[in-house]
Amino acid sequence: MEPVIEVRDLRRDYVTSKGLLRRKTQTVRAVDGVSFTVERGEIFGMLGQNGAGKTTTIKMLITLLAPTSGVCRVLGCDTFGQEKQIRPRINFIFGGEMGVYRRLSARDNLKYFGNLYGVPPRLRDERIEEILRLVDLEEAADRLAETYSKGMLQRLQIARGLINDPEIVFMDEPTVGLDPLGAHMLRDIIRRLRDAGKTVLLTTHYLPEAEELCDRMVILNRGKIAASGTPAQIRGAEETMEDAYLRLIREVEV
Amino acid sequence: MTWQVLLSTMLLQMKQSFVRPMFRFCLLANPVLNTILICEMFRSSGRTDFAAYAVLGAGLMGLWCCICFSSAGDLNRERYMGTLSLLFAVPAPVETVLWGKILGNTLLSLGTLLLAWLTAGVLYETWAIPARPGWLLLVLVITILCFLQVSVLTAWLLTLSRKTTLYMNCLELPVVFLCGFVVPVEELPAWLQAISNLLPPTWAVRLLRMAVAGVPDENAFWRCLGILAVLMLAAGLLSRRCGRAVDRRVRVLGNLEVC
Repeated sequence: MEPVIEVRDLRRDYVTSKGLLRRKTQTVRAVDGVSFTVERGEIFGMLGQNGAGKTTTIKMLITLLAPTSGVCRVLGCDTFGQEKQIRPRINFIFGGEMGVYRRLSARDNLKYFGNLYGVPPRLRDERIEEILRLVDLEEAADRLAETYSKGMLQRLQIARGLINDPEIVFMDEPTVGLDPLGAHMLRDIIRRLRDAGKTVLLTTHYLPEAEELCDRMVILNRGKIAASGTPAQIRGAEETMEDAYLRLIREVEV
Repeated sequence: MTWQVLLSTMLLQMKQSFVRPMFRFCLLANPVLNTILICEMFRSSGRTDFAAYAVLGAGLMGLWCCICFSSAGDLNRERYMGTLSLLFAVPAPVETVLWGKILGNTLLSLGTLLLAWLTAGVLYETWAIPARPGWLLLVLVITILCFLQVSVLTAWLLTLSRKTTLYMNCLELPVVFLCGFVVPVEELPAWLQAISNLLPPTWAVRLLRMAVAGVPDENAFWRCLGILAVLMLAAGLLSRRCGRAVDRRVRVLGNLEVC
């Protein structure tokens, strides 16, 4: 198997300063020595509480944040310094209603992002029709996004994340704001991506979802890896994934 | 890819800007009000280049107001919509995206010059007829490029901070006065004139006035154009360096999103 994501001893600090005359700086370590690899075609899960470092790790992987130290490589390239080689081959979906132009229709949003990803116009338009069908936004495609419900905006985000047919899709809590039907649709999309040989790195709070979808996963706690392995290995003897997760977090906290 | 990104960003920007009431105010009401104000100020001044100051002054003020408020404001809006970070993580160079956005705003904002010309003509019977229409056309193209360049440089710097709204309010009037949009630069104190003469729009405005009001010494026009070309080249190089530095810096600081 070919590793497409390589993270080794990765650290990320956020430094904030306050005060005009007596300037005080505060450093918060969001990711603290995280290491893992993801193979091509895998669905890899990152689980953890709020503030565990999942989003920061994803932002470093999608070239949006510079690591403070450590190795952070995607498709064999450093995410800080070799981002030009990585960006056309990946995409990302963040949970929530952000990340789309509200005063444009879904179709115009997708056309624009298609252009930003350098998708040739004919292929872009064909792909837009296909993706709109996939996320069930076909009928609302020409309505302004500001008239959409929360779930529809989230589905538009998913569509945007697929516009360049990426080799790796990074999903940060993608089911946030989705109703059960929408969440089911997303799980189907993730399976289809796996069948098409794509790699998916997924963060979620919904443990049954992670157990159902992921080939392997890591559990993050306060920026560090608390456990890693297949869902079966992590669950161990516990009855549910939730029991295993709570036990792990308590053990680490103690 | 670059042209496609530039054009699609420009069109997207035009669509998004025109639906905003604030932009429509800057584009439609501001030049009319400014023309009335400046015409009243200059009417009894006895200056022979009154039309050039009234029409160009009001038009340029409107143009700068539109560019400054929309371009800087857009950065803030993008930050709050969560799209600013996306623009930094796509394969298209973010510099091209910025140029597209500012080009869209600038082309729409050119309407302010036309509105100022019409207002001065209809209300004050001051139809500013350009003495050198050929020069005016050439200088208008150069002025657009000059404003674009200054705006892109400003946008890069504003990307570094989350206090964009504060800075954009601080930017508008100093540029109006320093670059001689309304008051001749020669009227400013000597130390301020030194700063003015380093700013490319000052020379673009001088050239526009020469094209509208005419100039006894043709060499003065070409000398002015040469200085503007040198300053624009320097601003262009600075903007490129600044762009590269900001692109790295925002990823180190992680401030492309709202906290």
